[in-house]
Amino acid sequence: MKRMVVVAAMLVFSAAGVVAQQDQVKQTQAQMKETGKNAGALGAMIKGEKPYDQATVDVALAKFEDTAKKLPTLFPESIKGLKPDGDYSASPKIWEDKAGFEQHIASFTKSVADAKGKIKDLDTLKAELTVIGKQCGGCHETFRVKKS
Amino acid sequence: MLRRILLLVILAGIAGFGVYWWLAIPATIAASALPVYQPDLANGLTTFNAGGCSSCHAVPKQDDRTRLGGGLAIPSPFGTFYAPNISPDPNDGIGRWSEADFVTALMKGTSPSGTHYFPAFPYTSYQHAKVHDVRDLFAYLKTLPPVAGKVRDHDVPFPFNIRRNIGVWKWLFMDGKPFVADAGRSAQWNRGAYLANSFGHCAECHSPRNFLGGIVSAQRFAGGPNPEGKGWVPNITQKGLSDWSAKDIAYFLSTGQTPDGDSAGGSMVRVIRNTSQLSSQDLDAISDYIKSLPPVEGPPKPPKKPDKES
Repeated sequence: MKRMVVVAAMLVFSAAGVVAQQDQVKQTQAQMKETGKNAGALGAMIKGEKPYDQATVDVALAKFEDTAKKLPTLFPESIKGLKPDGDYSASPKIWEDKAGFEQHIASFTKSVADAKGKIKDLDTLKAELTVIGKQCGGCHETFRVKKS
Repeated sequence: MLRRILLLVILAGIAGFGVYWWLAIPATIAASALPVYQPDLANGLTTFNAGGCSSCHAVPKQDDRTRLGGGLAIPSPFGTFYAPNISPDPNDGIGRWSEADFVTALMKGTSPSGTHYFPAFPYTSYQHAKVHDVRDLFAYLKTLPPVAGKVRDHDVPFPFNIRRNIGVWKWLFMDGKPFVADAGRSAQWNRGAYLANSFGHCAECHSPRNFLGGIVSAQRFAGGPNPEGKGWVPNITQKGLSDWSAKDIAYFLSTGQTPDGDSAGGSMVRVIRNTSQLSSQDLDAISDYIKSLPPVEGPPKPPKKPDKES
């Protein structure tokens, strides 16, 4: 009887663990998607598809800042090796080269902080978004894997 | 009787080998074919950026695109290639090369010592370049800092390591034709077609390849499995990019940002580091051309494995 309780408890715990991991992956994906969406809104202004709008810029920068703050917690060891739905998965290099990954986060955080208060019109937006966009690509180059 | 048959077989063997040997002769361009010329360094820089030389030849893990010491590992189904040093270093790079050596390497895929380069070096695209652009590029490369250090040999197993065989490969997959402008199209479109198909060498990754590693010409630009291993290279004909405007393509090549705000990843990041340096005119030209590619169905993607945890 005792043994059954222990086994049952273990099962419940491990199932909860799996659910937690899946939730973490979903949260990470949502955060990244939301970040991209905001970058896309800024891109639309640079391309001239939409007029310059300060409110959109401020919202986007706030989102970037939020992402920069959360990034260190978005990829816990527990989600390593998971194959989530969607086009991409996290490269194992995130955990193998922790220092390199953290360096990219720091660099992204800095570029966002630098841009704050500087973006006032289309030209300044263009200049700052170029720098921020490079951080996105720089990290995705090594730490994100496109699935077939 | 038997001796005669044997003799015939031997003769046929010799003749066959002779044809093979002749087919596989590495082609060169003689210095005498290059008249006196005053190179244009600014245009050399443009071709350098359009050609994406530094995508493979820049020293990895550092930000200076002009340090062309090589060393990047390029995995393929045929083995792993290591991008050579093409900095002007006289011992380890191309410092001692003549202009004819360089033009031959780029447009014929033949080394100064007269051997075939592996087509991981995209001379199948560079062959369509204009000679004066190649000469400008050579002059520009000469202005870059020499980087010492020889790169290790390619790690290519038998039988692909027999370089002479590449001569036959070239005969199969290299047409040797110069780029011809389409008079029915605008100057901008033609500039884009030229850049994309020669220096830009977009099709080298964005096309499926057959079992010999040749591009499947009917599916040029239609994407396929990543030759470097994992993942899939996107279809950039209108089958894959119909919801991208020409402006979206230009913006992507300049910033790495897709219309939905996502950013390029993988090898494309290295490509963007170069294309982002191109003038907006050249970016518009390439986009105009890419946007005009008729929709072509690429190879079928492998069925997605059920994405279950663990």
